[in-house]
Amino acid sequence: MSSATATPASGSRAPAVTDPPIRRPRRRMRAGTLVSILAMLAVTAFVLLPIAIIVLTAFKPTAEVNAYPPTLVPDTWTLDNMRRIVTELPFSRLVLNSFVFAGGVTAFALVFDSLAAYALARIDFRGRRALLIAIIASLMIPFQATLVPVYQLVSELGWVNTFPGLIAPRAADAFGIFFLRQFFLALPRDLDSAARIDGANEFRIFRSIVLPNVVPALLTLGIFTFVNNWNDLLWPLVFTTEQEMGTITSGLTLLTGPGGIIPYGVMMAGSLIAILPLVVAFLLVQRRFIESVATTGLKG
Amino acid sequence: MTRSSLATGALLAIAALTLAGCSGDDSPETPDDTTAPDTSGDTVELTFWHGYTEADGDVLEQIVADFNESQEAVHIVTEINPWAVIDDTLLPSLSAGDGPDIVAMPAERLPVYAARGAFVALDDFYADAANNAADLNPGAVDMVTVDGAVYGVPAGFVPLALYYNKALFDAAGVTEAPATWDDWVDTATALTVDENGDGTPEQYGVVLPDHATVANGLWPSLFYGNGGDIVADGEAVVDSPENAETLAFWQDAIAGAAISPTGVDGIGADELFSGGKAAMTVGGPWMTFIAADNGIDLGIAAIPAGPEAQAASAIGISMAITAQDDPEVQAAAEQFFAYFFNDENSVAWSLGSGWPPLRTDIPADAIAENATVAALTPMAEFGRPLLPGVVNTTDVLTAVDELTQRAMAGEGIAMLLAEAQDKVEAALADQ
Amino acid sequence: MSTQTPGSRAAYRAPAPLGGRSSGRPPGRSLLRGEARRGTTALAFLLPALVVLAAFVLWPMISALRLSFTDAAGFGTENWVGLENYSAVFTDAGVRDAVVNTVLYAAIFTPTAVVAALVLALVVNNPRLPWRGFFRTSLFLPFVVSLAVAAFAWSYLIDPQVGLVTYWLSGVGIQLGDVLEDPTLAMPAVALVAVWKSFGFYFVIFLAGLQDIPASLYEAARVDGAGALGRFRHVTLPLLSNTFAFVGVFAMIAALQAFDQIYVMTGGGPYGHTQTIVMEIYESGFRKLELGFASALSYVLLVATLLLSILQFVFFGRREEDLS
Repeated sequence: MSSATATPASGSRAPAVTDPPIRRPRRRMRAGTLVSILAMLAVTAFVLLPIAIIVLTAFKPTAEVNAYPPTLVPDTWTLDNMRRIVTELPFSRLVLNSFVFAGGVTAFALVFDSLAAYALARIDFRGRRALLIAIIASLMIPFQATLVPVYQLVSELGWVNTFPGLIAPRAADAFGIFFLRQFFLALPRDLDSAARIDGANEFRIFRSIVLPNVVPALLTLGIFTFVNNWNDLLWPLVFTTEQEMGTITSGLTLLTGPGGIIPYGVMMAGSLIAILPLVVAFLLVQRRFIESVATTGLKG
Repeated sequence: MTRSSLATGALLAIAALTLAGCSGDDSPETPDDTTAPDTSGDTVELTFWHGYTEADGDVLEQIVADFNESQEAVHIVTEINPWAVIDDTLLPSLSAGDGPDIVAMPAERLPVYAARGAFVALDDFYADAANNAADLNPGAVDMVTVDGAVYGVPAGFVPLALYYNKALFDAAGVTEAPATWDDWVDTATALTVDENGDGTPEQYGVVLPDHATVANGLWPSLFYGNGGDIVADGEAVVDSPENAETLAFWQDAIAGAAISPTGVDGIGADELFSGGKAAMTVGGPWMTFIAADNGIDLGIAAIPAGPEAQAASAIGISMAITAQDDPEVQAAAEQFFAYFFNDENSVAWSLGSGWPPLRTDIPADAIAENATVAALTPMAEFGRPLLPGVVNTTDVLTAVDELTQRAMAGEGIAMLLAEAQDKVEAALADQ
Repeated sequence: MSTQTPGSRAAYRAPAPLGGRSSGRPPGRSLLRGEARRGTTALAFLLPALVVLAAFVLWPMISALRLSFTDAAGFGTENWVGLENYSAVFTDAGVRDAVVNTVLYAAIFTPTAVVAALVLALVVNNPRLPWRGFFRTSLFLPFVVSLAVAAFAWSYLIDPQVGLVTYWLSGVGIQLGDVLEDPTLAMPAVALVAVWKSFGFYFVIFLAGLQDIPASLYEAARVDGAGALGRFRHVTLPLLSNTFAFVGVFAMIAALQAFDQIYVMTGGGPYGHTQTIVMEIYESGFRKLELGFASALSYVLLVATLLLSILQFVFFGRREEDLS
């Protein structure tokens, strides 16, 4: 506390009661802050409730899952649900597939999107505006509409039930290009003009000067892409008919019980396993991630 | 460091894609080399999609394995996914010509695929006495018949039945399953418990879902019971005095006397029953599995008779051969169907799945060891196919769902029936 | 060349994370000469992405466009039917209901998500609020949960029999009933699940926008005698207009394509009250095998979304140069 007062940043929070003119506003501010804190705590609790229910229900015995009155924290903790996931699904294979699929899409999309975004943001060429609008417009058709033609093409290539079939159609995406373009636009032009005068070629400028300045944006887009693909349900369902090629997210559909009943406890256990890698990865990089979403800022 | 690693990553990714592209060019047609014994080279390889994911799936897998063992010419590989997933993935795979050779699906889903040319007609198969097809339950065969041609074979056909919780019956002093609609309402009333008197019972006598019912069959069953129907001879007949009576009767019992919750769907009904919160439900043979999982002592009875008829809509599962195949594949698939319907497998499949035998000539003592099958088999005579020959079942069933859900919520029946009639007529005109 | 790199890095750092405003528009024209050469260079950069997009986005879109003029099921025979599917789209009662439902969904989802994100960003942007990092992380966390899983968790929470939220609310005298089977409540429920999942993303973007506003502007407004509300209206809102346009357009595209949680939670019910346009596309294509009709409906949706997006950009006064 006493050491904290040394830093200028904490000055505003120090209880400076010696200065009458600003005393009242500060006290009011503190009351306001208290209200803000309570409100924020309530909102946060509400926001975290579904995640808490996934985590906690995963460890509840079936009887308790279906009991009234319901509980938040399990009265009895059990690993039965987890055990069923591990025994009823080719679990480790599905998780591995998820990593390969989401990771593969992310790797390709980052490279391809950043190259394309660079051209759209920093090279003047004819038709740039039209191309950009076309790319944005392609976001507006629901993917259910193009699923069948995409599948036909993947099948034509012999890629059904293969990783290339899962990954290639998403190796570049319109949102990523648009997203990175906005970021590239925000970089000052003179960043690369000097290099250009020196005769550096465009790829060198891209790789050595521009790209290092957009690492936060790449991280953002990378996580964004990874999360979306990891979580995708219909895509892996359609492109993999063999269980061994499915992802953990699509594999959850296999937990449907007799008569179509979805056992909540088992499903929550599966959901927990499905979101755990994402939550852990997110918590590890969250500071940089959020800051880079923020920096990306979409000021463009 | 960041920069160089990033650049390295980018190059690796490009290299990897190039490789992926190349390997794709080199071997565009590799998905078929599975673990099948391909020694002779004239083995026909078939893919078979089905959605039997429980104990019944194990039995089916065994039959397929035995079939593969029994001969050299045909080898079947199964791919198992829930029924809804099969429905989602069949269209893209058919469109690309790499769909399954044999596919099983809920029976009401078959006509739309058949009408669009997805399946081969099997009239030859039915004509061959060696296949035992003549002995198949006629109602089941109706469900695979579209415009007079037969596009599949049944994998399952069972009338909806009344499943009840014996412990709750005992607790209320009820000794027998109801036999008529009036009995049904009385019994359900006796079994409904509202201890705190708040109007929301803690235990319902029966759970009658009002939409998306089990195999969409509850309300058709009730309509039949009073002499009504939804589609007859290709005409919409929803808006009939019989159906108006039926809806009024159950509106009184459900919305009025609260013997059943409203707004529940078929899966919700199974859940309420399995949680012991409803004493009776209308369901399928899998209730045996659910009851066992939840420690419920299960009783099975026919759906109580209505004023006009004892009838129940049937749950059907059908199997078909996709039309993209050559005659060799079709012959191989038919060979499997014949094997599936032989004496031994007809019994094994029935006992293992808990569904009555598909052949009507299987003697009762052959399936006596499975209590569920033994209870359900005599009811097969009341079983009626759901919307046989109707192609656009999706819109017809949606119209019926809206009708029943709104009726059980207390809305005016005459208006609802007129609306449903229009929608069913539109759906029939659409095909 | 080699002397260039270190110097340029120091001099032209990217805008610091959460830091000051970027320097905005490039000051000069490109120094590259020769349009043809620029075109070739641009093509080289664009090529990998364009190959992928052409094969897996453009070509399928063209295929879908062609299908929209046929009676195709996706397999088997198909016949050219001209504009029949399009006229069906504009006369079909199911489509009309789906449009109404989608507009309702968008009208609930978009403002709720955007306003919730903005309000929370304003609160969290206050430097006096403790635990800002914790709040920021927590509010963003739902973003990593898939909509299907979110839908599942929420269905359990508001289950009329065993739902925890249902139980808690009944404890304070509110009978929630069966929300997902209630014709008036089902749509707000599925929309709010999407709000829960996605507002954190918008929240972070707003937070960034807020932190980009120079404190001096607020000081100036304060000197001019503007109150908190006045500062919000005359400083915050105008300077956030770009952020608003971005968030607004993407929230709207998301709203118009609502599908996942509806598929899981209600399947379009109760009796069609949550049947959105994309649910309708899915059902007509994948359930009724009317792929031609589904494709026509998709194109109508595409055009409508495009028009709405342009309107929105105009409405938020997006600077002309931003799309150039």
